[in-house]
Amino acid sequence: MSILILPIFIPLVAAVLILATRGKPRGLKEALTLVATAATLAISVQLFGKEISFILPWIGHGIDLSLRLDRFSGFIVLFASLFAFLTALYSVVSMRGKDHPKQFYFYLLIILVCTNAAVLANNLIFMLFFWEGILLAIFGMIAIGNKNAFKTATKAFIIVGISDLCMMGGLAITGYLASTLTISQIHLELTPLASIAFVLLMIGAIAKGGSMPFHSWIPSAATDAPLPFMALMPAALEKLLGIYFLSRITLEMFKLSAGSWISITMMTIGAATIILAVMMALVQKEYKRLLSYHAISQVGYMILGIGTCVPAGIIGGIFHMVNNALYKSCLFFTAGSVEKQAGTTDLERLGGLWKQMPITFACFVITALSISGVPPFNGFFSKELIYDGALERGKIFYLAALIGSFFTAASFLKLGHAAFCGKASQENRRVKEAPLGMLVPMAVIAFLCILFGVYNQLPIEKFIQPILGHARLEGHNFSGFPANAWLTLTTIVVLIAALIHHLIAAKAAGSGLKASEHIHHAPVLGTIYQAAERKWFDPYEVGMKVVHIASLLLMAIDRIIDWLYDGFLAGTAFLASRALALLQTGNYVVYIVWSLVSAAVALAFMVK
Amino acid sequence: MQTNLLLLTVFIPILGSFFLPIAGRISKNFRNHLALAFVAASFLLSLIILPGVLAGKTIIFTKFLPLGFNFVLYADGLAVFMSLVSSLVSAIVVLYSFGYISHYDDQNEYYFMVVLFLGSMLGLVFSANLIFLYLFWEATAIVSWRLIGFFREKNHVLKADKAFLVTVFGALVMLLGFINLYQQTGSFDLLVIKDGLKMQAASSLAVALIMAGILSKSATLPFHTWLPDAGVAPSPVTALLHAAVLVKIGVYVYARLFVATLNVEQFWHTAIPLICGASALVSAGAALIETDLKRVIAYSTVSQIAFIFLGLSIGNIIGLAGGLLYILMHGLAKAGLFLCAGIIEQKTKVRDITRLGGLIQTMPLTAAAFILCAFSVMGIPPLGGFFSKYMVMAGAFNSGNLLIAFTFLVGAVMTILYLFRAFNLVFLGEPKTEPVKEGEPVMVFCVALLAFLSLAAGIFIYYPDKVVGTIVQQIALIK
Repeated sequence: MSILILPIFIPLVAAVLILATRGKPRGLKEALTLVATAATLAISVQLFGKEISFILPWIGHGIDLSLRLDRFSGFIVLFASLFAFLTALYSVVSMRGKDHPKQFYFYLLIILVCTNAAVLANNLIFMLFFWEGILLAIFGMIAIGNKNAFKTATKAFIIVGISDLCMMGGLAITGYLASTLTISQIHLELTPLASIAFVLLMIGAIAKGGSMPFHSWIPSAATDAPLPFMALMPAALEKLLGIYFLSRITLEMFKLSAGSWISITMMTIGAATIILAVMMALVQKEYKRLLSYHAISQVGYMILGIGTCVPAGIIGGIFHMVNNALYKSCLFFTAGSVEKQAGTTDLERLGGLWKQMPITFACFVITALSISGVPPFNGFFSKELIYDGALERGKIFYLAALIGSFFTAASFLKLGHAAFCGKASQENRRVKEAPLGMLVPMAVIAFLCILFGVYNQLPIEKFIQPILGHARLEGHNFSGFPANAWLTLTTIVVLIAALIHHLIAAKAAGSGLKASEHIHHAPVLGTIYQAAERKWFDPYEVGMKVVHIASLLLMAIDRIIDWLYDGFLAGTAFLASRALALLQTGNYVVYIVWSLVSAAVALAFMVK
Repeated sequence: MQTNLLLLTVFIPILGSFFLPIAGRISKNFRNHLALAFVAASFLLSLIILPGVLAGKTIIFTKFLPLGFNFVLYADGLAVFMSLVSSLVSAIVVLYSFGYISHYDDQNEYYFMVVLFLGSMLGLVFSANLIFLYLFWEATAIVSWRLIGFFREKNHVLKADKAFLVTVFGALVMLLGFINLYQQTGSFDLLVIKDGLKMQAASSLAVALIMAGILSKSATLPFHTWLPDAGVAPSPVTALLHAAVLVKIGVYVYARLFVATLNVEQFWHTAIPLICGASALVSAGAALIETDLKRVIAYSTVSQIAFIFLGLSIGNIIGLAGGLLYILMHGLAKAGLFLCAGIIEQKTKVRDITRLGGLIQTMPLTAAAFILCAFSVMGIPPLGGFFSKYMVMAGAFNSGNLLIAFTFLVGAVMTILYLFRAFNLVFLGEPKTEPVKEGEPVMVFCVALLAFLSLAAGIFIYYPDKVVGTIVQQIALIK
């Protein structure tokens, strides 16, 4: 056995043990989860940087239990384990008193098992097994949320399930074209069939990342699912998984060039996701829903970055994946603190919390600055790289990314203003700072956000550049301060514009929360927003209607076939027997004539 | 020795079934357990035969009769696999019946018919003579006709007649196909026919005629509508006949004749998947509209059978292995779904899913079993259905025919949709019926067992896959 199975095995054993616990002693589930995630984290630190592979025969047809640790998978496992550990730590306090703790910790560990296994897998089907296996954990995790949760869980399951099926198809084609299922041996030219495979795999990857048009379950889950789930999955692990696999297929498994239509498609999806999702985020009036739209919008940057197929963009995309996972999970954690302490995340009822919750506020500020791309926080550096790559491929993509940045900054100014600044309402006066167990994970992540910005040589040189290798980097080193001063300057101008916009709009509207209302109700935009709020653009709702109509047609075909039996055949048989019955008159003479005629016919045949 | 075991496997349920009504006069309990014992005996005997057969030793029992009517029982990996699946599901269904059928009249007839059905099924599975295969085939049709009309309501009897007429009509057409094969080879004995047609493909006329029988028995477009109508039967019967076992007859005979024995023209490797693709879509669409729970599940069966046919007919190894695995995984999961439907129907007296709701609060175990079985049918890991679905889809993509592959991909998507629709309407939301309790323990145990087996078959996929892999190798080797 290899040490490589430990990141999968340890949480799995803990998960099974949790299922076996019977409620007592109290704290056993939490302890098990913490120990298991900490151990997994310790091992993944040990494993990082090593290159090991491991293979066991499993089932036939080229499907093996095959694992591979390289710079990339080691890096993802490291961060996945880190987030799992921090989320577990956070949950110990935040899930206290909530329903179904046993299921919650079980699913949390299973998610870690599946993520680590899917990332380490070196066999496509072994990977798919765990990749798709996450589906059950997501379903369960959302379903134990509030009253509406089951409906949201179904929505998530259907959307992610469909994308996983596409991926299954893509894997089947890939395996067929490459005549192997071993990931490290696949390097396919982009023939037409391979392009279909690529698109199917890409659908699986970006859907896991939460990109449009596979996003619409995330805002619903934000309000219905347990909060740590949001910080763990849509904010962190799903991005890691989705972008990991997207990078694998673009960098290794397929020979993708910058000029191909697939690259353009990816950039378009990325750009559209950035803008559409951030516009939705801007007008939200609920802390968690606002964050969830940013969870969608940010994945657009990563897809755009990787889709550029140029080193700066790819490095930026992967770097942004880590940065986003950090600040987004921390932002969700701050939402959790506010929810637990103030009892609501409705921005209309919040305000002035900075005094009562200073540490939460500090963490919020750091991560909000990071996500808005303010130097010297981590988000700034990854976004600059993506801008650089996008500009190389086309001004329009750069412009989209820049507009996205403006609105990201605007919406976080609004969120911070509405939740933490302004006047505290009467009910918020007695709110206290969150307990230590919740503050520690937030502080750790906020620290990492600063570290990865100020000292970005660490993530870029140690984690990310080795993934591409020297040949692809063409001698560049992307760490340090951005090389292109004009780009930096533009970014800063845009950020300042966003600040000024907010100050003016907030003053005009009379509150931070209403600072985006003039956009919400602008002439054309207002109509679009109304339609969006009625779910006219929700691909899930639209898809369900299309399926319903198609099903009615198919049902009609079914009924017609059924009528052929019940109506047509039965009717014909009935009429035929009625007709034959008419011949039975009961008259002897007629019968004798019939007999003679038949005998004559028979004779004629025999003689012939 | 092995030959005797094979004879016992088939004839214990066939002959034993006739004693059940007598046993019922002595004691109900005695009869019930005797029925279970007969069925379990077949399962255990198949299990004992299995290792030898997988090692490559086929078992043949021959009773010479004139005119090519030799009575031949032939056990190879394929046949034993099928008999294992059939008898396993039958055993669980009989156990479930202890709880379910105890509320109704004519229990003697019920157990007699169910055990006789399994006997006929096993006779069919092991028959290597087309005439005897046909006889057992019709025997299952007659038993099925009695069981569908079990409650004797006028409407039920009409549905039973419909099922009988459609399948028997198909079978008669199939018999013409058998006669056509006889004209080519001079025998009904499959071993002789195989030798006779080693080098050439079977005539497409024969294939077309036999396919009519196969598609009607396995409820595939355009012969499928009898299956949803047959949902009027008692739920364990629906589970046994119309989900797990009887509808697999056509699939099995397809594998036996056109995969393991005869070569068919290349054209069929495209035509049959296309027919099945249409079948998968039409029935999935119907399953999304239907409101009767059992009809929804029945349409789902039609749709999933198409996936099995796809795997078997696509003409590559991985598809074939997937198709065979599918028989097992679908048998377990779909039987579980129907048995859950039986619990719901018996407790709430309602079958219209739009008039049900919120049952997860009062029937948590049934709900959990239902969703697990549904996950398996959808093909979600780690449940068993994942592997069979992947292999079948891989077979479709490996064939290079993207039209077929994408048709089934859409079918797979719709599977997720209609099963979730059923689950959500029945178990979630607000209760719309009188408050009900969880089903009887023995019935809940059975559905939980099936859900557990679906899960175990996925986690321990190594074992079923090894069996299937060996069978596929045997088939490939013979050809």
